[in-house]
Order: sequence, then C-alpha cells, then structure tokens
Amino acid sequence: MESRALARFLAIAAVLVVAACGATPSGGGGKSPAAVAIVPGGPHPYFEPMRQAIVDAKADFSLSKGIFSVPTDWKQDLQNQLLTSLASQGYDGFGIFPTDGNAANGIVSQLAAKNVPVMAVGGCVQEPTKTTFCLATDTGASAYTGAKAAIAAMGNKGVLLHGTGLVTDPNTVKRIDAVKRAVAETNGAVTLITIGDIDIDAQTADTAINQALAAHKDITGIITTAYNPTVAAAKALRTLGDKRIKMVGIDDDPVVLQAVTDGFLIGTMGQNPYGQAYIAAYAINQIHMGCKKKSDAPYFIDSGTLLIGPDKIATYKDDFKTLTKSIVSGFKAKYLSC
Amino acid sequence: MLLRPVALLALLIVTSGFWIFFSIAATGFTSDFNLFALLRFAAIQITIGFAQMVVLGIGDMSLAVGAIGGVAGMFAGFVMQSLGMPPEVAVPLALTAGILLGFGNALLIIWTRLNSFIVTLATASLITGAMLIVTHAKPFSNLPDSFTSFADGEVASVPVSPLVLVMLAVGVALFFLYRNLSLGREMLAVGANRRAARMSGLSVDRVVLLTHGLSGALAAVAGLMAIAADHTASPGLGSNWLLASFVSPAIGGTLLSGGLVSVPGTILGGVLLATMSSGLLLMNIDNFWLTVVLGVVLLVAVGLDRLTRVVGGAAT
Repeated sequence: MESRALARFLAIAAVLVVAACGATPSGGGGKSPAAVAIVPGGPHPYFEPMRQAIVDAKADFSLSKGIFSVPTDWKQDLQNQLLTSLASQGYDGFGIFPTDGNAANGIVSQLAAKNVPVMAVGGCVQEPTKTTFCLATDTGASAYTGAKAAIAAMGNKGVLLHGTGLVTDPNTVKRIDAVKRAVAETNGAVTLITIGDIDIDAQTADTAINQALAAHKDITGIITTAYNPTVAAAKALRTLGDKRIKMVGIDDDPVVLQAVTDGFLIGTMGQNPYGQAYIAAYAINQIHMGCKKKSDAPYFIDSGTLLIGPDKIATYKDDFKTLTKSIVSGFKAKYLSC
Repeated sequence: MLLRPVALLALLIVTSGFWIFFSIAATGFTSDFNLFALLRFAAIQITIGFAQMVVLGIGDMSLAVGAIGGVAGMFAGFVMQSLGMPPEVAVPLALTAGILLGFGNALLIIWTRLNSFIVTLATASLITGAMLIVTHAKPFSNLPDSFTSFADGEVASVPVSPLVLVMLAVGVALFFLYRNLSLGREMLAVGANRRAARMSGLSVDRVVLLTHGLSGALAAVAGLMAIAADHTASPGLGSNWLLASFVSPAIGGTLLSGGLVSVPGTILGGVLLATMSSGLLLMNIDNFWLTVVLGVVLLVAVGLDRLTRVVGGAAT
C-alpha cells in the first residue's frame, strides 16, 4: 500500500512537472524597463534606506516593477527561496546583500544562467562570481578614516577599543586590519584592544562593550565598525556621562546620531545603503535594456563613505544623494558598453 | 513498525491539494525555474530529514546532523579544491567521514550511557568547532564544474535536478532496509522498546552503532548535495539544519519516541514544506508570515497524526 501511495504521488508530481508551463524569467536583452528587486540578506536596520531607494529608482528610471523584500532570517536557504520566487514572478534583475558571501554563488549562478543580472549591494559575493558588480562601502577605507579621526581626537595617544562584527566576515577582517594600520602609525603611542563577534544582536553587543569598559578603565577612545556595537557603545557612553572617551561609530541609527549631536560621539561613519540600491537598480535596468559590462570594468564599485560629525547631521543624507546621482551620471560611460 | 497507509494517503492528498491550489493561485508556481528550485530544495531538506529519521527510529535523536553534514561538505571541498582530487574521490571520502563521525556519536552514547540528546549536543559543538579551527573558517569556493553542474543540470530536459534522483535513490534504499532487511526491523524493535529488544537477544549496542553510522552517512550525502547546489563549501553549512531535520520526519509520521518511521512520509513532509514555502512566497504573502504558517502546519500535522492514532487505538 505504501509503495502504491508513493508511486501515485510521484506520478502526480511527474505529470505536474512535465506539464509545467508559465512564467520563466524573461532574461536580459529586452527593450522594456526592468522589474527590479532588492533583497537583503536578512532583517537589519542597515537596509531600511534601500526601501525608499527602490521606490525612487522605479520612478526615476521608469522601472516596470520595483520591490524591496527581506528574508525572514539570516539563512541562505531563505534568501534563495525568496529570489527564486521573485524570479518566477517575472523580476528581471536583483540587488542582493548575500546572506552568505560564498554560498550565495549557487543562486547567483542559477539566475545568471537565465540571463538575470544580479548586483551585490552593501557587501560583495565572494569571487569568482557571476554577480555583475558589487556596490558597497570600501570597508577598509571607512574603518581607517574613522580610526584616524578617533586617534586624532584622543591626542594621538591612549587606549583605543575596537568593537566589530563576525570575524569570519571578510569585511570584518578588512576593518580589523585597517584599524590596526591606523594604530600602528602612532608608533606605539596608542594601544589597541579588539573585541570581535559582537554584532550578533543588541544584547551581545551591550554586554561586551560594558564589560570591556569595566575591565579597561584606561580606555580613552572607541572605534566601532559594526551596527550593534556602535549603538551599544553610544548608549554606554551616555549612561557613563563621560565625554573624555572619544568615539567614532558607524551607520546612522537615531541613537547614534543623537549621541553625536549631544557630544558623546565625535562622529559616525555613514555608509550609503540608499545609493547602493539606487545605483544597482539603475545598472540592472541598463543591462536589461541591452548594455554589457565593459571588459575592463571593476567588480567592486565604492558607493561612498562619510564621517558624520555634528556639523553634518542635518545634511549628510543630501550629501549621499548628491554622491549617488554623481555615480549614476557617470556609470554608463565608466562601466558599461551600450 | 512502518507508518499506516491511511495517514500516508492523507498526507499525499494534502500535498497534492496544495500543488493544485498553488498551480492555479500562485503565478509562476509551475514555471520551470520555480519547479526546479522547489524540488531541489525539497531534495536536500528530505535527505537531512532522513539523517534524523533513522536515529529517531531507534528512539535516539541526533543534534549533530548539521555538524556532520557541514564537516563532510567542507571536507569534500578541501579534497576537491586544495588537494585537486576529482569528485569521484572526494565523495566517498566525505561519506566515510560522515560514517566515522556517526560512529563516534554512537560509541559515546554506548560507553557513557548518556542520553543521545546530551551526547550529540556536545559533539555537534565539538565537531563544528574543530572544523572551524582546522579550516580557519575559510570557504572552498572553487569546486570543479563537473561537481557543481550536477546540481544545476536537468534530467531528460525536465526541470528536475539530478539531486532529486539522489534523494529518491536514498529513499528507496532506506525503504528496502526497513521493509526487507533484518537490520531495519532490529532498528525499529530497539526504538519501540529498547529493554525488550535487549532481553530478546538483540545486540542493541550494535544497532545503535550502525544506526548512527547510517545517520552520519546520510548527513554527509545532504552536505554534498548542499555544496553542489551552493557551488561552495561554506563554514556555515549545516548550522541551520536542526529544525529541518526534525520537521520532515515529524510531519511524515515518524515517531519522536522511536519504533515507527516512514520513508514516503518523510519525502511527502519535505515536499509539503517546500511547496508551502514556495507557494506562499509566490502569492506575495509577506514572507514573515511563512514562519507562522509553517509552525501551524507542523502543529496540525502532528495533532492529526496523534488523533488518528488515538481513534485507531494505536496510541503509543
């Protein structure tokens, strides 16, 4: 009986499979505007500006469809399923933050085989990859700039705490190396304490930052290169009420921006998630309309970074939009052949 | 004891019903692209489910299925990329690694007489930690095309990945084991009542050893399937397999307390989950609702199974 039931199910499945018809991703080379989806690696406040970016891109580039869709969790399987679903619904191109920078290559190859262009946004897919471009912050340069600013504010001496993300993330490795380089340039005047793997959630970051501040009373500067450690450190400094510790954070959470305004942070390294998604949508549309990537065009394109001090709080979003428009205006000539 | 045909038929009807419903209601559900991805995803999930199902059959559980699958996948990646060996060498070596790790779990369970939950909770952490130390968490991204293209290919121009055939072959072998071989019956006897099995002269320790070895091999198969589909052996491989390993067998009717397994049920359970997941996404139901819906489906499936057991007088 069981084998008969199994056989019957397989027969039904086979009939459905053989009879399968309908929407196959249409692929590139079309003349109508593209349907573009921006798919982050999972839920994270960093990606929120991308929601508006795809709305603006849809209007500005007359995209046929534009959507921002987030997997329920940071699992590559879930991102794969979401991308497959969106491709089956007729989306022609994707901007993705890879959940797993390596394992994302499987779904990217699958989409590329159907001539569906994929751009990495916010973080790169490990090369070799069929991803066309990676639009992201130069994480090493950003961390170096932030560390130099913090060290300068410390008077080029003292103890600098570096709170960062997963040490298995290639971006974290670049950030750690960049901060080390900035510290090394002080010729021993600044001592570095690095705590990694604390961008898991707010609680983990809170605990780690407060423990570090309690254990090392001689800390005079903080550089954070991940979202949760930044928010945690900004809160901790406000609680301590001590502005002698000079801190530079990352990203623009309201807690962090308020801390900059109130003088608890000297600044935060802004990234450009809005621009990453907006530029990706533009590039996808161009490729969909028939453009090709130039043979000498790079894979990585810096989407810009900015130290947001108290004087930039009111204007930094406009600054990033100006930068984004400037990258878009020169994109076709620099990176595409149409 | 194998799952009763009535429950299996009910699951088949529910699964087929969802296929028909989504074929009509979800745009793109029957597209080649979606069917290919859906069935390939289901094949991997079902194979992960098989790895758990066999240990559930003897009344044990393995929280190390993901760890073993991850290590086997990473080991295969190392053999192919760093040693330059072909897949024909890497695959048997990875399977051997899976079997040995499964044996390791079994030996610890037998020697310590501790619950398999505790033992495999510890070994999962141990195995994953050792792998991360040895590999420095570096992935193997340059796998041979002959290996990765196997997962991307189609069978006879039908949008079905060869990985589906691998899963079906494994399923047929397991069905044969439980239906026709004395070892399969011994596994179920140990799961139904370990003490009675021991008193009737069965070598329970031998059965535990072979079952965990088999589970390790199946986890390794799932690991190999996953790295072929992902084109990469990633250090995070297997880290999210725990729930998946239990869900397909549980929906399919395998008893968590042992003594009853269902190979066709596990296949149907995996297909049902993949179908729900794909269909709901295609219907543009906010994918955060997916988690809620899948939880409800699992509860309903387990509840109905329990109800049919009570009504049928076969309550365990």
